[in-house]
Amino acid sequence: MTVLLEMKERLKLIYSKCEVFLIPIVKFLLAFITFNTLNDRMGYMAQLDNMSIVLIAALACSFLPLGAVVLLGAVFSLMHMYALSMEVALVGLCLYLIMYLLFFRFSPKDSLVVVLTPLLCALKIPYVVPIAVGLLCAPSSAVSVGCGVAVYYLLQMVTESAPNIRTMGDEEILDKIRLLVEGFLGNKAMLVIIAAFAITVVTVYLLRRLSVDYAWTIAMIAGVMVNVVILLVGDLYYDINLSVGSVLLGALLAIVVAKVIEFFRFCVDYSRTERVQFEDDEYYYYVKAVPKMAVPMSTRTVKKINSQRSREPMGNTRPSGGGRQQAGRDTADDRSAPGRGGRPSGRNVVVERAPGGNSRAGRTASGGSRNTAQGRKDGRRGVTVRNGADLPDQYDEEWP
Amino acid sequence: MLSEERIVLMTRMASYEQGEGRKNIKIGNYFRSDYITVQVLKAVFCGTVAFCIMFGLYMLCNFEEFMENLYEMDIFGFARDILTYFCAMVGGYAALTYIVCTWKYAMAKKSLKCYYHNLKKLGSMYNGQ
Repeated sequence: MTVLLEMKERLKLIYSKCEVFLIPIVKFLLAFITFNTLNDRMGYMAQLDNMSIVLIAALACSFLPLGAVVLLGAVFSLMHMYALSMEVALVGLCLYLIMYLLFFRFSPKDSLVVVLTPLLCALKIPYVVPIAVGLLCAPSSAVSVGCGVAVYYLLQMVTESAPNIRTMGDEEILDKIRLLVEGFLGNKAMLVIIAAFAITVVTVYLLRRLSVDYAWTIAMIAGVMVNVVILLVGDLYYDINLSVGSVLLGALLAIVVAKVIEFFRFCVDYSRTERVQFEDDEYYYYVKAVPKMAVPMSTRTVKKINSQRSREPMGNTRPSGGGRQQAGRDTADDRSAPGRGGRPSGRNVVVERAPGGNSRAGRTASGGSRNTAQGRKDGRRGVTVRNGADLPDQYDEEWP
Repeated sequence: MLSEERIVLMTRMASYEQGEGRKNIKIGNYFRSDYITVQVLKAVFCGTVAFCIMFGLYMLCNFEEFMENLYEMDIFGFARDILTYFCAMVGGYAALTYIVCTWKYAMAKKSLKCYYHNLKKLGSMYNGQ
């Protein structure tokens, strides 16, 4: 676990250092995959099904807010629909407008959910979405998940109806519209999945907010079970041809992804839970404090200690440069240290700083003898500085 | 001299102002009734447009049937039905918006209260120096 926590801290450090570059890169990749998937699935407009256009659009999205991916994705799909038939594009535009006007107003910041839901549906791993959204977002995000599912089924229906629409003549405008509208509204699978996902999002959200131990784990398992049960019952009632195996596999994958999210977002140590009770003039307080699990990153600084020491009485000041000159008192100490014979006088010393944190690992690392032991275990040897405090003149050296 | 407590407070406040706070400050500039009224009016407008789109799609789907029965059907009854659906949908949507906006306004005010409290605390830190 300590290794994982260290890795997490390292990832956080990398993210905080490279955030400026990472966010545009992630946006670019998301936009690129979205537009490419749209082109692969639909691809009716030959001019749009071009890698350079996809790259330019994705590059633009990387510098624009995330809503741009939604907007450009909608434009891409509408243009493909238009290439198929103007009536299809009209129906698509009407459905997008209805979704925007009625639903998307309540959760305008859920662009990522709206993009990811149809994308993951297309990649056949949609069951991750409601669990992840329930863990990370507000219950209003259920609306965005529903919109995402609706968009996926709209695009799927257009793709499936494309051969029929192509065979219809130009005069059969109303038939084309009727085919699409009735096909969309009468899609029982879509309705069942929207209901299952919405209920799952709300269930996961409500359970993860409880103040019981392991609330997140309970929430994700309960959410997955609710999702599977609703989907299977829906399949039984409406015969939506759902593969039980894929649902169960998807549920397992959802739990794995949810555990990863939990590790990064809500990693707490329930064994050190503290319960405090106190009062003031107006209230009694029953407080439950659960400490977060964290390992403070050990930062290494390589200090070059030159062995030259001024012959003048300068106290403990360390002279700079002149590594080849005769060693002073520090060098004499080095020589007396076991196992250090034959070392050059200008040596590299690894100073391991372990800032005291509020975590168990942090406290352990800050202890003197334990720290040394840890240093040995890690194969590091050198000077140990407690709590990252000021470097003393006489180092607390312990040699292996 | 640098005060760590003050810097932490200022950082948190700056982060709030640039993130969630920006939206909340905008909401906080309104009186409660004004904010809710504006949002409900927007909802009525959006609901009306959405209803028109839905009605248009319905008419396109059933255009042939409608034209065949045009001279036999009760036009006023049809209009009354449409109006009832319109009122139900737009009214329901406006009511939902009212509930959501009331809750949103209360949350924003609560959050802003905390922000102003911190602002006051920061002011007192500067005065105390």
